[in-house]
Amino acid sequence: MNTASVLWQKNPALAWREIDNATVIISPNDSVMHELNDTGSFLWKNIDGYKSAADLAALLAENYEVAPDIALADIQSLLEEMSSRKLIAPVQAAVGESR
Amino acid sequence: MNAPDANSGGAPKQQLDLSIGCVPFRLQMADAQLFRAASSRYAAFREAAVQPIHITLNEFSKSENRPAEFGYEFEGAALHASSRETRFDGVRNEYALDSLLRVLLSWKLAGRHGFLLHAATVVRGGKAYVFTGRSGAGKSTVASLSPAGTVLTDEISLLRFANGEWRAYGTPFWGEFRAMGSNTSAPVRGLFRLVQAAENRVTPLRTIEMLRALLPNVLFFSAESEANRRLLDILGQAVDSISGYALAFRKDAVFWEVLPE
Repeated sequence: MNTASVLWQKNPALAWREIDNATVIISPNDSVMHELNDTGSFLWKNIDGYKSAADLAALLAENYEVAPDIALADIQSLLEEMSSRKLIAPVQAAVGESR
Repeated sequence: MNAPDANSGGAPKQQLDLSIGCVPFRLQMADAQLFRAASSRYAAFREAAVQPIHITLNEFSKSENRPAEFGYEFEGAALHASSRETRFDGVRNEYALDSLLRVLLSWKLAGRHGFLLHAATVVRGGKAYVFTGRSGAGKSTVASLSPAGTVLTDEISLLRFANGEWRAYGTPFWGEFRAMGSNTSAPVRGLFRLVQAAENRVTPLRTIEMLRALLPNVLFFSAESEANRRLLDILGQAVDSISGYALAFRKDAVFWEVLPE
């Protein structure tokens, strides 16, 4: 799978809120709290089911003055981390389904 | 109103009206022993209820197939809440009743701008000081070191936003100190995360730090997404408006000297 072209969506079961420039996410099933830093929050805001890692990296590069290849590597790493925590999932797979 | 009620069959039902954090309940039960135990346990919280939440105990209603908006099971006892009724089934003693009542209250508060928190609350100078932390952090010690009559609760505090301010309410849910809980409230002066230490010291918390302190100690039992979103909104508003502190606590009464007035 070309991971850069996969579209990503938020897990619809989650509750979240921005506090102190961070994003706080609660997973209701296990009551675990997740915190995203500035970059993670930027990414979270832009994950809408219509953007791929490449799209998100382009946005990051544009807004944070990061070189495109570094932005893509950072975004892919963050997406992988969020996916492993079941905060997001590829659009074609149901959220929560094992990948 | 706590009079016996007519019943369609079996023992007559008795009803117990309670108000906890201004949330009114009417419990109806046929078990006389349970009624006596509940009447004693919740004596300070008995209050004539206006538009109460009706709870029937151990009636195994004919409408069991109705989908529950919220359900919870605890050691054989079960809570079933729908838009038309709330039932507690399999309640054998006051402890099971107490557990289900806490769970139901936590759920109802999410629609009433409030939440339950593992915390001791002490009133000083007309203001509520709320001390939160996990078991062993010192909640009961704080209560035991405070003057008689000032402890709203030593275990579970109820915080609710009403009329433009956050207030802390006593609850009948007690901990090691076995404070019976006081059915009164006071505006919240501050929320203190207890940390055992060699000296007493208070440090302000940023809002995100306060949320980190709150979340593990909030009582909430719904896994439903929308309910959790409501809860997070309420907690977000609480940490925005309530002053939060870390309280390094030596477990002696001198700690009051370092608290803000």
